[in-house]
Amino acid sequence: MSKKTVPPKTYDAIVVGSGITGGWAAKEFSEKGLQVLLLEAGRAIDPAKDYTEHIPVWKKKFRDMGDRKKANAEQPVQQTCGAVDETNAKFFVKDKENPYTTEEGKPFLWIRGRHVGGRSIMWGRQSYRWSDLDFEANQREGIAVDWPIRYQDIAPWYDYVEDFIGVSGQAEGLPQLPDGKFLPPMEMNCAELDVKDAIAKYFPGERKMTIGRSAVLTQPHRGRAACHYCGPCDHGCATKSYFSSLNSTLPAALATGKLTIRPNSVVHSLIFDSTTRKITGVRLIDAETHATVEVHARVVFLCASTLESTRILLNSTTTEFPNGLANSSGQLGHNLMDHVMGGGASGRIPGHEDRIVQGRRPNGIYVPRFRNVNSKHPGFLRGYGFQGGADRDGWDRGTGMAGFGPEFKKILSKPGPWRFGFYGFGECLPNFENYAELDKEVKDAWGIPALRIRCNWRENERALLKDMSITAAEMLSAAGAEEITPFVEDNAPGLTIHEMGTARMGRDPKTSVLDAHNRAHDVKNLFITDGGCMVSSSCVNPSLTYMALTARACNFAAESMKKGEI
Amino acid sequence: MQRREILKLLAGTAAFPLLSNDALAFFQSVHEQIPATADLKTLNPHQDATVTAIAELIIPETDTPGAKAVRVNEFIDLILSDWMEDEDRNKFLAGIADVDARCQKAFGKNFVEGSAAEQMQMLTTLDEELTEFRQAELEAPRRKHKDRPDSEWPFFDSMKRLSLAGYFTSEVGAKQGLHFEIIPSQHSACAPLEQEAK
Repeated sequence: MSKKTVPPKTYDAIVVGSGITGGWAAKEFSEKGLQVLLLEAGRAIDPAKDYTEHIPVWKKKFRDMGDRKKANAEQPVQQTCGAVDETNAKFFVKDKENPYTTEEGKPFLWIRGRHVGGRSIMWGRQSYRWSDLDFEANQREGIAVDWPIRYQDIAPWYDYVEDFIGVSGQAEGLPQLPDGKFLPPMEMNCAELDVKDAIAKYFPGERKMTIGRSAVLTQPHRGRAACHYCGPCDHGCATKSYFSSLNSTLPAALATGKLTIRPNSVVHSLIFDSTTRKITGVRLIDAETHATVEVHARVVFLCASTLESTRILLNSTTTEFPNGLANSSGQLGHNLMDHVMGGGASGRIPGHEDRIVQGRRPNGIYVPRFRNVNSKHPGFLRGYGFQGGADRDGWDRGTGMAGFGPEFKKILSKPGPWRFGFYGFGECLPNFENYAELDKEVKDAWGIPALRIRCNWRENERALLKDMSITAAEMLSAAGAEEITPFVEDNAPGLTIHEMGTARMGRDPKTSVLDAHNRAHDVKNLFITDGGCMVSSSCVNPSLTYMALTARACNFAAESMKKGEI
Repeated sequence: MQRREILKLLAGTAAFPLLSNDALAFFQSVHEQIPATADLKTLNPHQDATVTAIAELIIPETDTPGAKAVRVNEFIDLILSDWMEDEDRNKFLAGIADVDARCQKAFGKNFVEGSAAEQMQMLTTLDEELTEFRQAELEAPRRKHKDRPDSEWPFFDSMKRLSLAGYFTSEVGAKQGLHFEIIPSQHSACAPLEQEAK
């Protein structure tokens, strides 16, 4: 104890999590000249070894059928995500090491990545702006609390992040889906153009189909190459053509020389100083040695994902905050949302037998929300958007066909008919009774209490799902599709991987965790900029909004630090 | 961006050896030199011969190689050994035995010993039964939450699925059959269908 030690280094900022938002926080702070320590619970990723997008199917042991036995044993939850296969399963956590509990009959599927880059390596890349239809919704309907910001507060930050990451898309001038700073749009194929034209003809002024707005480059952008249409983006991208923190923000942050990345750092809790009422640092467990380590900084950004950031705060109790740090409102862990997905329809589009899609477009079409936009729907609040698209059926249609032999082989070696699918993503209403808390018994592989998650869909979400199947079938019918098959899937919450809301922003410290700049009402130097901050869920994919809010919060924090307020 | 530039860009990454045409041709030639007698982990010689024969009838050699040439039997053995749960594997093996039992009853010999006409007759029956089963499934009241588990489907459903997967996901099946390119030579949303693929 008497041995003299070098005083521990105090960083300007500690960022917890290296995914979509953590990468942005690291970039923003380091580019402002601040010393940043980025903590990542998982291992480092080496793109040269870990990216597998160009491994052809015949080189994979199970030929795209997945390593089923291994997945059943190690990743029973993770494998419910359709993106998981045998060569990218390493980008998803081992469920046994990372347990959580749910109530019988109320499943919640928590799909996670723990490695440098987080889920930005496997994300769906769809990038949409929210509008005031979203930001004003809670106030208009008297649900939960009002957002403390409006579109004009975030619009310049949407510009800022889009300009850096590169988003391809088509401007449409729709108030409910503001246009961004787009790279050239990707093309629609012949069958998609048929459906687009039919929607324009039969649903004018109500529904519209556009190409997906995707964080995939259609031309070289900021030193990254344009997409070469190989297809499996969720296996990585050697040309860095889609946005991930690993491909984009982290290299920019590292180039400043101000960033230190510490992988294998499982955050246990935050260290709170009762005198200053500020965070002084972070207590972490080294994932490899299991040693406890403390690191210090002037400001802490939690970007560990909605539920992980919430778990860290719930596990950081003090005498002042017996129910979790920064939780004087009692809202921490509550109001958990995810988009309700899986109502829609598919159908066969006749014609175009002499045409084919060459290359594999990593993007689909989008039908922006049209319910409760210009007129009120009697059956539900808010709305949904459709993703989807068309392609020709492949060889696997043979598993559902009669026949075998030379002619059968010949038929299956050719492209099948064009088939179009609409797949809906709907808004989930915030509800206090959807929540996560610490489980009193179960702990993860590092001894940190696991979450106990209680979350289920309610009447409004179910009504949206049903309506999706009807309106999707209507549009296919208008397009002259055949074999129209409406569907309503029964997906557990969590599977959309848009979980959000457990540390919401708000104007009033009594009813919200964070202020209008993502700062904890209770703790001046603590920020949460991942999905936890969301007050409502909109129906559009949230990642672009998380990025914009992160950049905005970093700017606010850096200014406050400069003024000596933090 | 042109394909050539992409290849250049990828040079130096681990993915590169998989990409150039020369490299692909090299891998193909290596593939063809692999000895045909791989050790099978689950199928005994008789079961292997039966699976090989049925797969070749489903995807026969024509102007392109068939199931036997791309060793669909080895793929099926791998799936049975390292992928399927015990119950499904046992069901599949029982399915092979059942095909023999039915051939014994109809022709007085096992499937592999049957004449071309007898084998064709048995496969036609199996395929018709599968079609009837599938039709009944489609017409059944819609199940909530899940489809009927694989293990309740007839043996020929698994046999046909695995034969198609084994062939079309093999290098020969993907490239010669489906004209698959790892890096597409270009992206076009509505390209004319090439004559060879029509």
